[in-house]
Amino acid sequence: MVEGSGEAGEAVRIVVIDDDFAIRLACEQALTKVGYRVAAYADGAHGLDAVGELKPGLVVVDLKMPGLSGLDVISRLHAIDPSITIVVITGYATISTAVEAMKAGAYDFLPKPFSPDELRLIVRRGFERRELQLTSQQCELERELQRRRFVTFVSHQLKTPLVAVHQYLDVLRQLGDDPEATAKRQDWLARCLVRTDELRRLIDDWLTLAQIEGGLLGRQRARVDLAQVVPGILHSYDALAERDGITLRAEVAGPCPVHGDPTCVGVLIDNLVANAVKYNRSGGCVTVRGRRVGGEVILEVADTGVGIPADAIPFLFDDFYRVRRVGAPKVEGTGLGLPICRRIASEMGGVIEVESQDGTGSTFRVRLPDRGDTPDLP
Amino acid sequence: MTVGARILIIDDDDDFAQAVTTLLKRDGHTVLTARNGREGVLRARRDGPDLILLDVMMDERTEGFFVAQELRRAPELARVPIFVVSAVYSEQPEFQIAPDRGWLPHDAFFRKPVDGDALLAAIRGALVTRSDTATRGATP
Repeated sequence: MVEGSGEAGEAVRIVVIDDDFAIRLACEQALTKVGYRVAAYADGAHGLDAVGELKPGLVVVDLKMPGLSGLDVISRLHAIDPSITIVVITGYATISTAVEAMKAGAYDFLPKPFSPDELRLIVRRGFERRELQLTSQQCELERELQRRRFVTFVSHQLKTPLVAVHQYLDVLRQLGDDPEATAKRQDWLARCLVRTDELRRLIDDWLTLAQIEGGLLGRQRARVDLAQVVPGILHSYDALAERDGITLRAEVAGPCPVHGDPTCVGVLIDNLVANAVKYNRSGGCVTVRGRRVGGEVILEVADTGVGIPADAIPFLFDDFYRVRRVGAPKVEGTGLGLPICRRIASEMGGVIEVESQDGTGSTFRVRLPDRGDTPDLP
Repeated sequence: MTVGARILIIDDDDDFAQAVTTLLKRDGHTVLTARNGREGVLRARRDGPDLILLDVMMDERTEGFFVAQELRRAPELARVPIFVVSAVYSEQPEFQIAPDRGWLPHDAFFRKPVDGDALLAAIRGALVTRSDTATRGATP
């Protein structure tokens, strides 16, 4: 016997199973009034059939019914859908059974008689909890998948340079004193050194990242004036910039204090400047700006390079992500520089953003809370 | 007789490709290279190699899978042996996913770094098998 109500075509969210016609009617009225689509059934067997078909999120079930008992219904409901939320209706005399129902997996119980408001409250809470549970299950699943992908990816990144070195050495060994070997040896050994260096940098960056995440780096809180540290970092790129004809400019207005671990602040600026130099065009320009605006300290590193394709921007701060350009020469890097920057910025209570015009350059902007000139914190 | 086979290496690591190229050339093969999956498919279709060495994780994490499927779809390449060479994936199921030939079509699987002798022997074997079946196919 189906006594469904609500509009056709809309998914039924609640199934009510109760042998008492008055209770079914009261539940339907109370719940339909606030927008739920409800279907009601007079016994367990019909109710279970309907649940299998309608797949509701929540079931309200009476514990004492002829035929299938409420407890039987509960266990069979969970067999149909383990995530289903169950509310039991019970008379005062059956509170102990209600406790049993809760143990069997019911979410809550409603003693008779109950008001429409009581029913609505318990149903709303049931749905809220269900949402939360589903979301957290989904998150758990995604986290697990991401963790596995990550392990595969890290092992690939670490193995790649190692494989190249091994392969060179193995082939050199096989060539022995062959004249071909003599010609290749110097070149290949130089490549081996480049690749071992790549591996070392990868491990260094990886450690920095792990240290920031583990709270080992970034613990210290000190006042760091951007006006004082930026020129020094830029100077360390003088030789590289000169080679490519790139101009380095610092535009930091007055004292521009941020609060954080001085090593981390240095790494943050250094990584951004390194990218700005690396991805610039010859004859281009790198500008580092610092200013205090509306309760924030803003650090900007702007380049005049090739820019970042719009479809790459969402992935830019992901671990190991590298922007690839068809036909462009490979730029060396670990793919961990920007993820490190993102973690440092967030560690300091700030955010990092990027603006880029494909073809004309990119600006990375770190927005940190302006804590003024308060003395160094412990 | 297998001397003079044309082998296409699809791998984004130039150093690995260079080392293996030297190995293959010494065994009498001609080597073509491609640095990503797209280029690899194009070269394979244009140059019709006798055998393909394919890396799995290139620019895209799963690029090799798509390349292998793409190569198998091209009628003229359907019978060209594909040797998958990877540092991460292996014949052993990792993360509950075995590299089934359905989603990663391949004729042989090699772990990086590759054992040069084993690779050369497998290439010789695959080319012999292939020329045998080609001969048989040609017989009425």
